[in-house]
Amino acid sequence: MRPFSLQFLVDVFPILLPFLSATLAVVVGTIFFGSIAGGLLAWAKAGSYKLLERLAQAYTYIIRCTPPIVLLFIVFYGLPKFCLEVLDTNINDYDKLFFVIISFTFLFAAPVSEVMRSAYEAIDHGQYEAAVSIGLSPWQAFFHIVLPQATVVALPNFGNSVISLMKDGSLAYTIGFIDLIGKGQLIVSMNYGAYAMETYLALALIYLILTIGMEKLFLWIEQRFSRHKQAA
Amino acid sequence: MDKMLKVKNIYKKYKQEEVLKGVDITVEKGDVVVVLGPSGSGKTTLLRCMNFLERADQGEMEFDTISIDMHKVSSKEIGKIRQKTAFVFQNYNLFQNKTALENVTTGLIVGRGIVKTKAVEIGMKALEKVGLADRASFYPSQLSGGQQQRVGIARAIAVEPDVILFDEPTSALDPELVGEVLAVIKQLAKEGKTMVIVTHEMKFAADVATNVVFMADGKIVEEGPPKEIFLRPKEERTKTFLRRILPQEEYNI
Amino acid sequence: MEINYKFLIDTFYIVLAAVPTTLKLTIIPLLAAAPFALAIALIRLQKGKSLWKMPVSAYVTFVRGTPIVLQILMIYSLLPSLLNALTKAWSFDINVFDWDPIFYAYIVFTLNIIALLSEVLRSAFGSVEKGQLEAAECAGLTKVQAYIHILLPQAMVVAMPNICNLTVNLIKGTSLAFLMTVKDMTAVAKVSASYGYNYIEAYLDVFVGYIIICSIAQVLFHFAEAHMGRYRLSKQK
Repeated sequence: MRPFSLQFLVDVFPILLPFLSATLAVVVGTIFFGSIAGGLLAWAKAGSYKLLERLAQAYTYIIRCTPPIVLLFIVFYGLPKFCLEVLDTNINDYDKLFFVIISFTFLFAAPVSEVMRSAYEAIDHGQYEAAVSIGLSPWQAFFHIVLPQATVVALPNFGNSVISLMKDGSLAYTIGFIDLIGKGQLIVSMNYGAYAMETYLALALIYLILTIGMEKLFLWIEQRFSRHKQAA
Repeated sequence: MDKMLKVKNIYKKYKQEEVLKGVDITVEKGDVVVVLGPSGSGKTTLLRCMNFLERADQGEMEFDTISIDMHKVSSKEIGKIRQKTAFVFQNYNLFQNKTALENVTTGLIVGRGIVKTKAVEIGMKALEKVGLADRASFYPSQLSGGQQQRVGIARAIAVEPDVILFDEPTSALDPELVGEVLAVIKQLAKEGKTMVIVTHEMKFAADVATNVVFMADGKIVEEGPPKEIFLRPKEERTKTFLRRILPQEEYNI
Repeated sequence: MEINYKFLIDTFYIVLAAVPTTLKLTIIPLLAAAPFALAIALIRLQKGKSLWKMPVSAYVTFVRGTPIVLQILMIYSLLPSLLNALTKAWSFDINVFDWDPIFYAYIVFTLNIIALLSEVLRSAFGSVEKGQLEAAECAGLTKVQAYIHILLPQAMVVAMPNICNLTVNLIKGTSLAFLMTVKDMTAVAKVSASYGYNYIEAYLDVFVGYIIICSIAQVLFHFAEAHMGRYRLSKQK
């Protein structure tokens, strides 16, 4: 067996790193759309309309039981077919990024809606009552008083969801999307399978930095916004 | 004395249980109406219905010139009433993420669109009145229960309501802290503020009230000036309640 | 939308036939990982410095911080050649490359679950009241007995929802076993789809298959938790 080449490990980083932007594009895009979708689902679950509440709960349950890769394949193969036959538009040539972000938005919205819902429910209803009792409208009470407090409660769990998303996002290469892992696979196959360990190790290190960095970032944000909780 | 607020015929049910069975209350300007009664008599529910934190099943409200059906009330009408009233809660409900001063000014800045500098001026005056001007930049988590409740009262008076509603303002406080809050309320009464107070503090009620309302089982049993209710109660139910609550010696007003 | 219903139903049976493989890929790693996960959790819970804490924490951090796909790729590219070199060096006459690939799948998933399960157990033990251990020792139990009879049962009840979560995630994780040429549900669906390009039907079938399996797992855990937690207060009206 060929010995481990530290040199290759060092050399492969600059080849991989440009593709970090692809990986991050997926994460950022999904966080943006997924949070909006998750917010809508959380609102539905808050129970203004029973039917919407049940639908939102069913959606969350189904996504929770679905392997990310299966969801990715269903969107990648199913959406073009749906668009072609039902909407009469051909999306087969769209950038793979499009399909990746859509699949992971579907995926991310479910846990995020749970994070938002439970954070909202954790805030004492009395805060809302106090706000409306001095003349704020229901919307003002939610926006100025409940939402800021709920956001702080949600942060750690939201951070965990983002980290999970980052890891699930690595599956995008299976539909041919060239992100970090995609490039890594290309490198491995270009070397006919040699230097696989070095390449994967490099990828692992990059991911470790990303996930640990994310964890620290969310911890810092949470502390900054929790100043009001420290007793004298 | 002009009539300010009148509610009639309030009925409210929780699940199958009737909590309010036809209650009428009239509040005139400058009145301090104290509502007494055993637990479960519906006094807190009554108060919360007046501010629409609960929706009555039936009832009519006349506030100054506004007439409202308390069951079919619209959000706009609720908003109007809430602009004229303020509520002080048993567990204070201070905005946890805001300082004492911000707690007081939020209603002014966000709810009424008052400019920040003016709001801060009004807010500081209110905090001074309750004796907490030096704690303006403290967060609720840094204040004692009594201090938090006083900030709650400052928050209520800053919006200059026509009526202030107090829901057992001292029930959640340690005994040593009750006095400071009652002192503030007494001061407000002296200044002629119109208030409706639900409380268990009998001596305080006797001191401060212009009108005492005794409730039990969702109905008003008896009402009248404090002298009448405490010294010469007419109804048996009132007598039983007072006997249990008040010390045995003759009460001097 | 055009769906090939005959294919949909036929493939469903093919997917069903692969369910035992998926179950094997879930249950075996869970059972194999349990003792190691427990050991790691207990090591990390010890107060003070220990020689083992550092490497063990590093291992858990590595597994939690990298995608499972990467772990699969690493093990699958490294292990066969490594084992091959070892067997050659020790002159065993075994052809490593003839082994059923599911063996490698077991290894990857077990290594993964050991780390994740140890985290779950660590926090579950942490949530059991400290006084329980003291009381047990005062009553004459050794530390080991205290753990087995008092702490572990209580920790398990607390851990149940998280273990259920972990199991559901593992079931979903096994969907990547096809990368190691293991014939699990996702693999057979892919193969079936490629014959006639009936991708959407095949993946819908496997999608439904996973929902069924995950639901059954959640129901089982629900009953397990209720049974183990009988000693807890129930809401009496």
